[in-house]
Amino acid sequence: MHIEASTRPPASWTVLVVEDDVRLRDTLERSVRAEPRLRWLAGLGTLREARAWLGTTTEAPDLLLADLGLPDGSGLEVIRAMAARFPACDPVVLSIYGDEASALASIEAGAVGYLYKDAAPADIARTLLDVKAGASPISPMLARSVLTRYRRLRLAADAAGAAPGASAAPAASGTSGPWLARGAATPEAVRPAFLSAREQEVLDLIARGFSYAEIARLKDLSVNTVQTHIKNLYAKLAVHSKNEAVFEASRLGLLRQPD
Amino acid sequence: MRATGGLAAIRRGVAGLLPRVPLPLLLLLLLLGPAAAPAQAPAAEALLALRAGSVVSTVDGVTREASVGLPYHWDRVHAGRPGEARFTLPFTLAEAPAGPWGLFIPRVGSVFEVAVNGSLLQTHGDLARDHGADYAKVPIYLPLPAGLLRAGDNRLQIRIRADSGRRAGLAVPTIGPATTVRDRLFAPAYAWRFTGAVLLSAFSGVIGAIALGLWLTQVEPAGTGAGRPRRDRLYLWAALAQWCWALRVADGAIVEPPLSWVAWGVLMTACYSGWAVSCVMFCQHVAGWQDRPAMVRLQRALALIFTVPVFACYVALSRGEPFWLTAWLGVEIVAMTAYVCLFIGATLWRPTAARLLVAAVMALTLAVAVRDWLVIRMSDAYGETTWVRYASMLFGLALLGLVMRRFHAASARSRELPRMLAARVAERERELAAAYDRLEIGARAQERALERERILRDMHDSVGAHLSTAIRQMQSDQVRPNEVLHTLRDSMDHLKLSIDALQLPPGDVQMLLAGLRHRFEPRLAGSGLVLEWAVEELRPLPRLDAPALRQLQFLLFEALSNVLQHARARTLRIEAAPTDRGIRIRVIDDGIGFDVAVPPRALASRAREIGAALALQSRPGRTVVQIDLT
Repeated sequence: MHIEASTRPPASWTVLVVEDDVRLRDTLERSVRAEPRLRWLAGLGTLREARAWLGTTTEAPDLLLADLGLPDGSGLEVIRAMAARFPACDPVVLSIYGDEASALASIEAGAVGYLYKDAAPADIARTLLDVKAGASPISPMLARSVLTRYRRLRLAADAAGAAPGASAAPAASGTSGPWLARGAATPEAVRPAFLSAREQEVLDLIARGFSYAEIARLKDLSVNTVQTHIKNLYAKLAVHSKNEAVFEASRLGLLRQPD
Repeated sequence: MRATGGLAAIRRGVAGLLPRVPLPLLLLLLLLGPAAAPAQAPAAEALLALRAGSVVSTVDGVTREASVGLPYHWDRVHAGRPGEARFTLPFTLAEAPAGPWGLFIPRVGSVFEVAVNGSLLQTHGDLARDHGADYAKVPIYLPLPAGLLRAGDNRLQIRIRADSGRRAGLAVPTIGPATTVRDRLFAPAYAWRFTGAVLLSAFSGVIGAIALGLWLTQVEPAGTGAGRPRRDRLYLWAALAQWCWALRVADGAIVEPPLSWVAWGVLMTACYSGWAVSCVMFCQHVAGWQDRPAMVRLQRALALIFTVPVFACYVALSRGEPFWLTAWLGVEIVAMTAYVCLFIGATLWRPTAARLLVAAVMALTLAVAVRDWLVIRMSDAYGETTWVRYASMLFGLALLGLVMRRFHAASARSRELPRMLAARVAERERELAAAYDRLEIGARAQERALERERILRDMHDSVGAHLSTAIRQMQSDQVRPNEVLHTLRDSMDHLKLSIDALQLPPGDVQMLLAGLRHRFEPRLAGSGLVLEWAVEELRPLPRLDAPALRQLQFLLFEALSNVLQHARARTLRIEAAPTDRGIRIRVIDDGIGFDVAVPPRALASRAREIGAALALQSRPGRTVVQIDLT
């Protein structure tokens, strides 16, 4: 049974929470229930429960709040399962530190934002609504990390272009992150123009600590446009992640070629 | 005449036991070519051997006449005394020869003249002078003119003058048809004695020259720390042995020596002894015994073996008493036999290819030398050729064999060398890699220790300090939840900053500032402060390592906290720009200011720790905290 997620703005956004800390779950529930534009669906504690819920639910969640460190597995699994089952759902990662490595992995799994566990109760609801309104928070550290990896990819692609017929993969593998290295082996998915010039500018300013509003002012854009750039970037990262998964699966012979 | 009947019988017996035809040394036959066809027994029916007659001898002024049986070994008959003799050998022919005839005498001398039926045919040397030429060295062939021989009785007359110790005398003359005598008797005998001597001498001379060349050129480089470069004396002794022998053998072809007989005879004996001594030294080097303590004694013995025969020879020749030389050569042979037995024993005990080769040559040479001594010195045999002259050639060949083995070993080593070098290089690389790994492990351990120390200090300074403050606040009489919350938020922010600092590239101040703003954003949003962000593009400052960046974080955190908590400002401006020598960061607010004479202690100490210049300006409405990083 496949349930189509609603694309029209509903009266309230439905929220699913997967977090093993009961007290934090209660805090989140209180914050969600206190906000009329949000509707609490369920609070789950483990990966197993989340899978079971996804298998039986009759209602599509609009927002997922997932902790990464679940007792029986990674919250990334929940995010992936959600992205497969309900593509319109926006997963948000619950994070203590919001550190670069876990943030990048979350975005690649399909997350569109993160929420600090020590956020003030009012901030929790506001962040969720912002996400639904099209905002995607990105830390300067993450922006810098994406830029660095992207530039490496460009160099590898340029090197491959300089030697016609040569694949970029050998040059890129081992020197850059996994999604870029393997992405380079699927050229239709990764072009050197993976990031537009504007997106690069925006990322660069974020990495230097400027806020969306300041960037909008500096670049003569609307804040919404800046947010759209970031959202697009998130989507691209996730697409890359999926391509990478497909590439990896076919490399391992897990996917059959159609006869 | 003979010394005693018994001794003579022994001598004859010995001579009879010994083979008369030189069988060994096919090599020499090859060298001599067609001329070296082995001597064959003359055809009895055509040839006439003259074995009996009469002799008139004059020794020490005493003349005697006696019947004689040939061969006539002068030194045996006259105990080595010099003198003269006239042989008359009658023979009978059935008829006068139709064709040309010839006379072959294997050995006659020292000097002589030959007459047939009263006609003088040939004179070799000056019969009036002693110690001059020695015609006994080469076999004689004389054509007998047609008409000289007649049917019935004929008479061959030979006069000789004999020098002492020169193996003078008369061997059995043979007459017969010229072609037969010349080709079947004279030619092979001449080849063996004259041509053979020349070729052997040349061979030994060439081998000696090669050995000397090797001695001069094969220089062992000086070992580590020890003296001069070393030459291998094995080659020098081989050269001496070969040249002694070359001269000794050449004597067989020198009818008229450049010295008088006594001096020449002594020289020949010196050559003979020099050859024996050099051979022993050569063997010592082959065996690798040259550095043993016993070598000194051996050298003394060898010096004796070299010098005594020279004196013995002088005495024997000048006094006409060959016994001295014969006796001493006997002693020498015993000594040499002892050495050869020792060498062979040692070789069997610890055989090497070189020792086996030389031991075989020595054994053969010794056997030949004993045979020669018996035949030439002890028996009555006359006209025999020494065999030992050929044995020396074996030493020469052994030397060549040794050199070839050495060359083979050296070339094998040189082929092996690159592989050995490669193996040693690989070994050294492995050692280096292992050493590098150990260093790497040590460095990593040290790095881990430093990192642990840094994190502990960080926890102590930030989270630990804040948590203890929070506990104190909770334990105080008046608990203010907002204060406690604030302390805990500080603690959380520090924890986050500390994690950010772990991921900062070295010297990346730009990233540090951006991260700091990101972490402060919720507080700023809550405070109502307007933030002006004026951070330009900054180059990394590599000298700022992770601990220094963390200190800078603390410093800026402190400055921002002060503004947020105490300044009551409306605007906060953060500036960062590159300077000529580094980076300048300024935190500016429009708050109430503070007394710059009493700056916050934490700011000053953190700035000192990272070597940053801290400048403070403050008045109501404008406070500037300026940090210059170089």
